[in-house]
Amino acid sequence: MTGTTEAAEPAGAPDAPVAEDGSRTRRLRFTWVHAAALLIALFVAAPLFWMAVTSLKPPEEIGANPPTLLPKNSTWSNYRDAFGTNNFGTYLFNSFLVSVVATLLVLGLSSFAGYALARLPLRGKEPIMVALLMISLFPTVALAAPLFLLMRDIGWLNSYQGLILVYTALNVPFAVWILRNFFLGIPKEMEEVAWVDGASPLRTVVSVILPQAAPGLFTAAIFTFTACWTEFLIALTLNTADRFRTMPVGLALFGSQFTVPYGTIFAAATVSVLPIALLVLIFRRAVVSGLTSGAVKG
Amino acid sequence: MSDTPMSSGSPDDDDDPTLSFVPDDVATGGHRAKPPAPPGLRPPPKRRQRVLGMVQRSPLERKFARLGWRFAAPSLIVVAGVTLFPIAFSVAMSLSDVRVSSNGFELSGLTTENYSVLFSSERWRHALVFTVCYTIGTVLTELVLGTAIALVLERLSGSRGWMMALLLLPWAMITVVSAQLWAYMYNGVYGVLTSLSENLTGEARQFLGTPVPAMVSMAVADIWKTTPFVAIIVLAGLMMLPSDVIEAAKVDGAGGWTVFWRVRLPLLRPALTIAVLFRILQAFGIFDLPFVLTGGGPGDATESLALLGWQVMFTNLDFGPGAAVAASTAGLVLIGCLVFLRAFRARVGDEEGGT
Repeated sequence: MTGTTEAAEPAGAPDAPVAEDGSRTRRLRFTWVHAAALLIALFVAAPLFWMAVTSLKPPEEIGANPPTLLPKNSTWSNYRDAFGTNNFGTYLFNSFLVSVVATLLVLGLSSFAGYALARLPLRGKEPIMVALLMISLFPTVALAAPLFLLMRDIGWLNSYQGLILVYTALNVPFAVWILRNFFLGIPKEMEEVAWVDGASPLRTVVSVILPQAAPGLFTAAIFTFTACWTEFLIALTLNTADRFRTMPVGLALFGSQFTVPYGTIFAAATVSVLPIALLVLIFRRAVVSGLTSGAVKG
Repeated sequence: MSDTPMSSGSPDDDDDPTLSFVPDDVATGGHRAKPPAPPGLRPPPKRRQRVLGMVQRSPLERKFARLGWRFAAPSLIVVAGVTLFPIAFSVAMSLSDVRVSSNGFELSGLTTENYSVLFSSERWRHALVFTVCYTIGTVLTELVLGTAIALVLERLSGSRGWMMALLLLPWAMITVVSAQLWAYMYNGVYGVLTSLSENLTGEARQFLGTPVPAMVSMAVADIWKTTPFVAIIVLAGLMMLPSDVIEAAKVDGAGGWTVFWRVRLPLLRPALTIAVLFRILQAFGIFDLPFVLTGGGPGDATESLALLGWQVMFTNLDFGPGAAVAASTAGLVLIGCLVFLRAFRARVGDEEGGT
C-alpha cells in the first residue's frame, strides 16, 4: 500500500506542485513519509480488517478473551445467518431500491435546476443558492417530527415512496451545487450553436449540456447514493416496520439490549460496505473531485 | 443574507455575485488533467454577465428567465415542500401546545412553555454542553490530524491514489456500521481494545462504562470515521496552492516550517474553512453514533442534542418540547456557522484561494 516502487498513480489527484529538492533530502524524507503513511493506513484499515475478520469467526471466537487475530475455524455461518435466517437480504434490497431511485430522481431534477442557476437569467440566484446550501446542511432531527406527521397523514409511513421523496429533497441541494459548478465550466459556444440550430431548450440541455457535464453527474450520483445508503435518522423515523427497514436501521436495531449478535451484524455490515467500497475504489477520482467541488459549498 | 461575508460581491442583481467567489477551476480541482474547457476558450464570465446586467430585460431575456424558472421549479418545490415546510412546522410546533389525541396531534395556542421547560431542564443543558464540547473537541482534533495526514499524502507520490481510496472507505461507510464496530472493539468483556489496554497497562479498562471515558471513546470512533474526509479536502486545497508563491518564499530563505506556517497555512484557509464548516454541522447534529454506540449513556453522559430531541419526540411522544429541542438545535447550528464564517472571514475561493 505504501511501496515506493508502485507506478505513479495518475488518478488520485493532480500532481502536487512539490518543489524539487536535492536528492539526498528527498531520500531522507521518503522514509519518514512512508513510515507516516503506513501508520495512517494501519489506523484506517485496522478496524475494517477487524470487522471482516470477525464476520468469519464462529460465536465462541467472537466472544473470546483474549481475541484471536485470525479466525481459527473460519466459517460462513454468520453470512448464512444474516441473509438466510434473518432479514438482512430484505434490508439490503430496500436500501438499494430507495438509494437508486432517489439518486436517479435527484439527477433528473438537479440537472435542470443546476442549468437554470448556472446559465439562465434568473433573478435572485444568490439567495436561492445560499438557501439551498443552508438546507443541505440542516440537522435532520428538525425535520423528523413534521415529516413523520406528514407521512402519516398521507399514508406513506412504512413505504418506499415516502423515504424516496425525502431523500430526493435532502440531496437535491448539494447536487445542484455540484452540477451548477460543472455547467459553469462548459463553454457557452456549445449551447449557442444548439440554439441557433433551432434546438428546443429541453433538447439543448439533454443532448448538448448533460453529456458535457458527465463527470459532474457522476460525482453528484455518487454523493447522493452514499448519502442515501448511510442515512439513519429519517429511515428510523419513517420506516419502522421490519419489511421496510433499510440497512442502517436493520443493523442498529438488530439484537437486544443484552445480547448483540456481532457475528451476524458484521457479516451484514461487511456486505453493506462492499458496494460503497467498490464504488469508491473504482470512481475515487470522481469522489475526490466532488469533495473538492464541495469546497464551493461554503 | 446580505451581511454575510459571502455576499460581498457585486450588488447588481443580474450579475451573479456568487461567481466572484466560485472560480470555475474549483469544480474540477480534483482532476485538473481534464477541465471542462481550457480557460482560454471560456468567455470571461464576469464581463459577459455585467453586460447582461446593464441591458434592460429584453423580451428574449424574459423568455429565458421564464424557462429558467420552469427548469428550476420542480427542484425548488420538492426541496421547499420536504424541508422548508417541515422546518416551519417544527418551529410552529415548538411554540404551541401539542396534544396527542386519538385522531392525531392538535396544535393550539401560542406558548413559550416548551422552551421554558427546555431551559429549566438539567438534561437539556447537559446535552447542550456535551454537544458543544464534543463538536469543538472532535473538529479541532480532526483538523490537526487531517492537515497532518494531508501533508503526508502530499509528499507520497506513488501510492497516493490507493491511500486516498482507503481513506474514503470510512467516510463512505454507514455510520451505524462503524458504531457497531467500535462498540464491539470497546466491549468490556471481549473487546479487542479492552484486551489491548489490559496488556499495555495491566488493568482492564472499561471504555464505555463511565462518563468521561465514554465521551472520549465516542469521539475517537468519530475521529476515525471523519478525519479522512478532512484530510482529503485539505489535500485538495494543498494541490491547488500556487507553487510560485511557495517557491518564492523558499528562494527568500524561508525554512520548511516557516513556509508552512506563514505561507501555506494562510493560503489553505478556504479549504480548511470548508472542512471545518462541514464537520461542525455534522458533529452538532450527531445522532447515529451515540444511538448505537452508547445509547446516550452511561446515564445521559453522551446524549447529544439530536438524540435528546429524537427521544423526547419519538420515545416519550412529547412533541412540543421535542420540537423545541430540534428547533433550538437548528437555530444554534445556523448561528454557529454564521459566527464561524465571520470569525474566519472566509471568502471561499477569492484571489488568495484560487489557483
